[in-house]
Amino acid sequence: MKRKILVNVVGVLLAFLLGAVVMLVQGYNPLETYYRLFEYSLAPGKIAYTLSKSVPLVLTGMSASVAFASGPINLGQPGQLLMGALLATIGGLYIDLPPLLMIPFLLILAMLGGALWSGVAALLKYWFNMSEFITTLMLNMIADFFTYWAINYPFFEKNANHPQTPFIAKSGWMPEWGNFNSSVIVMVLAFAVIWFIVNRSTAGYEWRLSGQNSLFSRLGGVNISKNYLVVMLLTGALAGLAGGLVVMAGPHRFIKDIGGNYAWDGVMIAMVANSGIILTLVFGFFFSVLQTGSLGMELITAVPKELIQVLQAVIVLIVVAGRGYFETFFAKLEARRKMRERIA
Amino acid sequence: MNIILGLINGMITSATPILLAALGGSLTYYAGIFNIAMEGMMLSGAFFGMLGSYYFHSWPMGILFAILGAILMALIFILFAVVLKMDEFITGIGLNLFAVGATTYMLRQIFKVKGAFASPEIVPIPKIDIPWIKDIPVVGEILSGQNLIVYLTLLATIAVSYLVFKTRFGLRLRAAGYNRTSLDTSGVSANRIRVWSLILCGVLTGLAGSFLSLGYVTLFSEGMSAGRGWISLAAVILVSGNPTGIALISLLFGFTDGLGLFMQRSLPSQFTSMVPYVATLVALFVYSVRLKKKQTI
Repeated sequence: MKRKILVNVVGVLLAFLLGAVVMLVQGYNPLETYYRLFEYSLAPGKIAYTLSKSVPLVLTGMSASVAFASGPINLGQPGQLLMGALLATIGGLYIDLPPLLMIPFLLILAMLGGALWSGVAALLKYWFNMSEFITTLMLNMIADFFTYWAINYPFFEKNANHPQTPFIAKSGWMPEWGNFNSSVIVMVLAFAVIWFIVNRSTAGYEWRLSGQNSLFSRLGGVNISKNYLVVMLLTGALAGLAGGLVVMAGPHRFIKDIGGNYAWDGVMIAMVANSGIILTLVFGFFFSVLQTGSLGMELITAVPKELIQVLQAVIVLIVVAGRGYFETFFAKLEARRKMRERIA
Repeated sequence: MNIILGLINGMITSATPILLAALGGSLTYYAGIFNIAMEGMMLSGAFFGMLGSYYFHSWPMGILFAILGAILMALIFILFAVVLKMDEFITGIGLNLFAVGATTYMLRQIFKVKGAFASPEIVPIPKIDIPWIKDIPVVGEILSGQNLIVYLTLLATIAVSYLVFKTRFGLRLRAAGYNRTSLDTSGVSANRIRVWSLILCGVLTGLAGSFLSLGYVTLFSEGMSAGRGWISLAAVILVSGNPTGIALISLLFGFTDGLGLFMQRSLPSQFTSMVPYVATLVALFVYSVRLKKKQTI
């Protein structure tokens, strides 16, 4: 356990060191830059905002984590997020209920939207054995164009200068207290549910088993295709939920590029977290710290905030590579120790 | 007649980057590498190609820089996937996102712009008129006057096909993918073959990138590879790496792309832009149905 934490921390530090070298080469002061980065995102008044911004990252990250840990290579989070956001927006445009009903209703719509889109990929695999790895990627592009069409034509806000929908009903806006957006509560609930399913339920045990060794679990009586469908739908729903919350907590309407890079960041978070649910939460928050802080960094030190995107990818590569490297390193040490014991 | 000519020329233009990247993917496919980094390599090639052409006011430098830019990505892939033995899938995804971030960052740092950079200083890759042939009606308009890269792509298809099936390197390449242990025990390092296949993949995807930013259009925009690397990956998987098959599939995708543009008269552009991706799904569908039939026999 300690060793695992050490590997992650060392990997992140190495990535920061590389980032510092890049900054030094370009004539920036890395210490000040990093200080501003963390100051902007972790100052007492700011931390609630950073937490709120971590919601889509953690949710898409959990979607990817659960999928990767259970076998299906669902890379469709970007498309599923958009479809979830679109369905929640449509619900908010045409229906108005009291907030206590409206918010759960829109969240369910968002999850339906995501699950619908991952369901397409799941059925293509189930019926025709088409690899979800490529179909989800293609469906991402299709969802991108489809939602863009939707905000250009049927749900276009008249008189707007660029493609966007009108505001959703006020009752569907996630309540906000200062910098703290209540979407964080939804995220924590989702985290608790997913953690429980994966770690404490029979279904979760079967998923993890199939993820480790599909043949073994089938011989042990696990219904692989049913589990595959359930995992795909669940992970789609998680990504869709992220999309719905982005709309309901943020601009309260569907604007162009609303999905941003959340979903791909989520995939990276899942990878760096080795598909662990708790680590996904930790790294999701950490990535949010970096992204939120990058705004302050750019304001004060003039280092472009795009540097953070590079840093994130470097963190993923170094931490994952380091993990493998350290594991073989420690295994070698262990083997050597045992050998010595035998000789002695 | 003009419509058909337009469709055919559109097909060739859209097929070119996909075909080049897929040929690169074919080499790594035979070497047994699950290489999904074509998207990132292409994007890096497109950026550095633009950079080279802009600074040296010459398109050959542009092509050279594009190839170097893509090879740079290939070297990072080699470092992580071959040297450090990291999961190829994770390396590929990480590298693709690294390419998006790095090109966006450099675009901002070097040119102080966001989104896209265009300038008259960027010299595009010229179109080649072939004497004699260009005077033949109809055929001349297709065979002549294409971008230099298009002709290079044709050569590359033949070269890759020859390399894989007729040379010693090709034999070792296929052996590396088929059974790397036996290749290693026969005294040839499978890792070295893998490294070379990745570098060659870099060269080809670099060319594809240069076609995007210096041929197709003369500008660089963020994420301009727009999923072409993924489509080329689908093409590689569909025909199990065979270069001739890849050429046919790429032309088919190119055709659907051109068809999409043609359909813009009657459909919103958002739907016509979906066509190549839908076509990929349809191709995968046909492939899997055929596979199923084979298995039942």
